Amino acid sequence: MSWHPLLLSLQVTAAATALMLAVGLPLALLLARRRFRGATLVEALVNLPLVLPPTVVGYYLLLALGRGSPVVELLGWRVLFTWVAAAIASAVVGLPLLVQSARAAIAGVDPALENAARTLGSSEPAVLWRVTLPLARRGILAGLVLAAARALGEFGATLMVAGNIPGRTQTLPLAIYDAVQNRDYAAANRMVLLMTALAFLSLWAVRQFERPRRPASARVSPGEEQRRT
Amino acid sequence: MTTSGQESVSPRLMADFMLQREGFRLHVQLAVGVEVLVLFGPSGSGKTTTLNAIAGLITPERGQIVLDGRILFRRDGGSPINVPARQRRIGYVFQHYALFPHLTALQNVAFPLRGAAGQAQARALLERMNLAHLADRYPHELSGGQQQRVAIARALAARPAVLLLDEPFSALDAGMRQHLQIELAAWQQELGLAVIYVTHRLEDAFALGQRLAVMRDGRVEQVGPIEQVFRYPASAQVAQAMGIPNIFRARVIAARADGLVLDWDGLELIAGPQDIAAGTIVTAYVRPEDVKVLYPDRPLVDAIRYNQAAGQIVAGRLVPGGRVLRVRLSNGHEIEVHHGPYTYARLNLQVGDVVQLSLRREALVVFARS
Repeated sequence: MSWHPLLLSLQVTAAATALMLAVGLPLALLLARRRFRGATLVEALVNLPLVLPPTVVGYYLLLALGRGSPVVELLGWRVLFTWVAAAIASAVVGLPLLVQSARAAIAGVDPALENAARTLGSSEPAVLWRVTLPLARRGILAGLVLAAARALGEFGATLMVAGNIPGRTQTLPLAIYDAVQNRDYAAANRMVLLMTALAFLSLWAVRQFERPRRPASARVSPGEEQRRT
Repeated sequence: MTTSGQESVSPRLMADFMLQREGFRLHVQLAVGVEVLVLFGPSGSGKTTTLNAIAGLITPERGQIVLDGRILFRRDGGSPINVPARQRRIGYVFQHYALFPHLTALQNVAFPLRGAAGQAQARALLERMNLAHLADRYPHELSGGQQQRVAIARALAARPAVLLLDEPFSALDAGMRQHLQIELAAWQQELGLAVIYVTHRLEDAFALGQRLAVMRDGRVEQVGPIEQVFRYPASAQVAQAMGIPNIFRARVIAARADGLVLDWDGLELIAGPQDIAAGTIVTAYVRPEDVKVLYPDRPLVDAIRYNQAAGQIVAGRLVPGGRVLRVRLSNGHEIEVHHGPYTYARLNLQVGDVVQLSLRREALVVFARS
């Protein structure tokens, strides 16, 4: 078994995770804290990859990243059938998991705490940095790990936009597919075990983040309690 | 202290604004000096919204808010001004403390401060609050009273000119509440703060406030020294808010030189002379202390000659300083009678007894507009 698919998968996942964080965190903040027209539409668009067949997502991405797309012409990007396209596809598919978890975590931060920070002299970025994000940290991290795991396993959309070029865009899930097609079950077994282990590891990490920080007896602040009833 | 009215203290904070939220209209006029002004009213009357507007957490539709001559908010003539909350120098102790759960007590107090000097300052504040030994505890490891003191220390750390407290001690037991009220009064004096203290409990108002502002339905109904507001409520609403029982509606029969004659659903009453046209529907009340039970075998003195009514005692309960009887009058309404512990001992009043009452004429307060 060549190590290349694993290394490429890690590279793609790392890039996708960075991309998801950069796009997903502002989106989660926006959806959690602002009421605006079209919020439902934005949310639906973000969540669409959860329910669409990966080939459909891939097809849209082909249109968006292909020749003739305004984005590509304007920036002069040629990313189709490179690892960058694989990273973008993985990010699009993983994004809803991050946004959902992060949004719930941010919405769960008592606005009175943010107001308290404001009356204590904090600017809006400081409120975000010192109050909102630290308090929502666990939900954000849990969502990020889940989204990264999903990105690592991305297959369908990646195949559409990046192809399955050994040594260039063949990530681990694609390599497994190839191995099975070629009846190389020894290689397939090794890679399947590796993927399964990684999946377990990430689920364990999510559990760690989602576990309450304090013992169960510790109560939430009375303000939070009221808001929930 | 000398309190003769609204102008008794030279104001530091002046607020006069109008604010509209779905179905709710708030119109507030307040002037607060170096004092504790108690903002009192039933829940839903707009007390918290008033504090939020003063703190800069919500924006009124129009009006202005001025602190020590510096305009914090203005939207009515002149260029609009809206100083953000972080620059207002207004400390706010929220109803449920709003301590940062991810920070220790010390970190909470040091939140508005910077550097090593800030740390030392925060530590000193905690010491003042007798909380130094709890500096490294998280809020959920503190009792309600301790959390409250951390919240106050944190608000004071930012060196505010005004301190807003929203139902600050409502979750605490009576002893702790009293203790903190005394401490709060001391800090207020020492730091020369203008304090607005929101509560819906009248006891808090008496325990702490120098002046009282009564809010109802988004309006400040009356402002003045507490005893004065309590003794001479300016309207039926204020009387009701102050928890005065025996408020009723009656119709003016005649305005005579010797008094105002009222008809309370069939019971004829006379109050002190007042110029109200016959036929007007008025709101009136008589304090339970001013309803007397008549001895059947004693001559009537002048004070209780008027406004006699027969009734049956339907309930009685002991209260601090005596007993309160509920008496159903001949017109079907019930009235409360408060008397001292040994008064009427000879009458041996029991539930079910029929008694003759007198509503003291001088104590019958009539508001022309309800």
